Amino acid sequence: MSTLIAVLFDGLSYGMLLFLLSVGLSVTLGLMNFTNLAHGAFAMLGGYVTYALVELAGWPFLATLPFAFIVTAIIAAGFEVVLFRRIYKSGELNQVLLTIGVVFASYAVAAFFFGTVHHSVELPGYLKGFVEIGALKLPSYRIFLVVVALLITTVLVGVLEYTRFGAMVRAAVDNGKVASGLGLNISVIFALTFALGSGLAGLGGALAINILFIDPNFGFHVLVPVLIVVSIGGLGSIWGSFVAAAALGIFDVVGKFLFPEVGAFLIYLFMVVILFFRPNGLFARR
Amino acid sequence: MAEPLLEFRDVRAGYGDSVVLDGVSFSVAEGAGMALLGRNGVGKSTLIQTIMGFTQFLSGTIVWRGREIQTVKPHLRARLGIGWVPQERDIFRSLTVEENLVVVARSGAWDVARVYDLFPRLKERRENKGNQLSGGEQQMLAIGRTLMTNPTMLLLDEPLEGLAPIIVEELGESIRKMVREAGMTLMLVEQHAEVALEMTDSAIILERGRIVHEAPSQELVNDQATLDRYIGLNISA
Repeated sequence: MSTLIAVLFDGLSYGMLLFLLSVGLSVTLGLMNFTNLAHGAFAMLGGYVTYALVELAGWPFLATLPFAFIVTAIIAAGFEVVLFRRIYKSGELNQVLLTIGVVFASYAVAAFFFGTVHHSVELPGYLKGFVEIGALKLPSYRIFLVVVALLITTVLVGVLEYTRFGAMVRAAVDNGKVASGLGLNISVIFALTFALGSGLAGLGGALAINILFIDPNFGFHVLVPVLIVVSIGGLGSIWGSFVAAAALGIFDVVGKFLFPEVGAFLIYLFMVVILFFRPNGLFARR
Repeated sequence: MAEPLLEFRDVRAGYGDSVVLDGVSFSVAEGAGMALLGRNGVGKSTLIQTIMGFTQFLSGTIVWRGREIQTVKPHLRARLGIGWVPQERDIFRSLTVEENLVVVARSGAWDVARVYDLFPRLKERRENKGNQLSGGEQQMLAIGRTLMTNPTMLLLDEPLEGLAPIIVEELGESIRKMVREAGMTLMLVEQHAEVALEMTDSAIILERGRIVHEAPSQELVNDQATLDRYIGLNISA
């Protein structure tokens, strides 16, 4: 019994990691209609920021997390202003081609600076051990992941649903022309939204290092599970991404535990079944 | 004579390669109301869109308070005090009524309470999403939302279009009240010429992208020959 709970929790925490990696894409893809396959590359950037600060500069792990967010957000905003905003209206194929090109470029840049080997970081002691609850032994780091994910969800929903900035984002998405005709600077709003979504990917990447490791392929690796989460959850829905990521994480880990031979395929089966019944995902905005 | 608030000098503008406004000149004084009349497709909406900067500007000059603004971006024109009320009402569908108002707010005499005072129906519907409103309520929200930007001038593009007669009356009364009490400069595009002339001081009539007649509203309302000639059957309010 406690083994099953431990496996379920393992799956949940993996799901929460997927959530952190994908929620930003749900925002940019769902709210801004921008097909951003480079999302994983921004996640990798955040991962390398934390790796460099911890392993090369000797910072404590927790202190690097805000920087993983901020550095990624700023660089992503630069990409938005220089490259991406030019192709918002020019069709999905152009968006896919440009952003996948960014992933390839990110591979080369990461390999140049950090080599092609796997990296991980040294965690502080309090995140390394286990927390025992009765007969249950849960890894501290995974509990930490779940807590961070819940916190981010609350903050993000709060920002998008209850702040004026959130209302501006939704207004700009609903009708950009009218929004600008009423004095909203939609270029700035979109750049900030993109920076926010990418910054969250960077944070997800930083938190993923000790579960998935980081190497120059990270941008490609996370793309598939992240796209699955976003498509199952429904575009633009934060709760959808949350539920989809949790379900996917649990399904994946429990599946591999119960049926090790086919475990790796189960998430695809899961996706096919859900999209068969809900082609727009569980919580589609439109 | 005082400097006009808004002035067009020989403006040519359109969409892509097609020229819709072909040399339009007029001026509006601060606090005055101007009706913009003409049949469908003569360029009335294009003129409004050109004031906001949404069309292809070809030549001429647009002056706002003595400053040329033809190259200024739309959101900055709005911030200068030009209050555009879009024709299709185009309210933000995924925002509540109150969010629609607050999201564009700039400080000034108009706030949420005053807009609710002008349109009490909106207060009743404050928690509803934009896509749950009737046509009349959407129009009230569209006007109220623009008022929240505290504009100096209001551009109303066929505000009564497609509304039930009883709503037309209610909304018309609110617009009159707004213009009377707030001393708002108004440019009103309207198919119902009688309504438009009654609410304004002067009128211009467009035909094929040019101004073909310009007169005080009082004078034009009695000039049946001109109205018949340029507006035809649309006179029935």
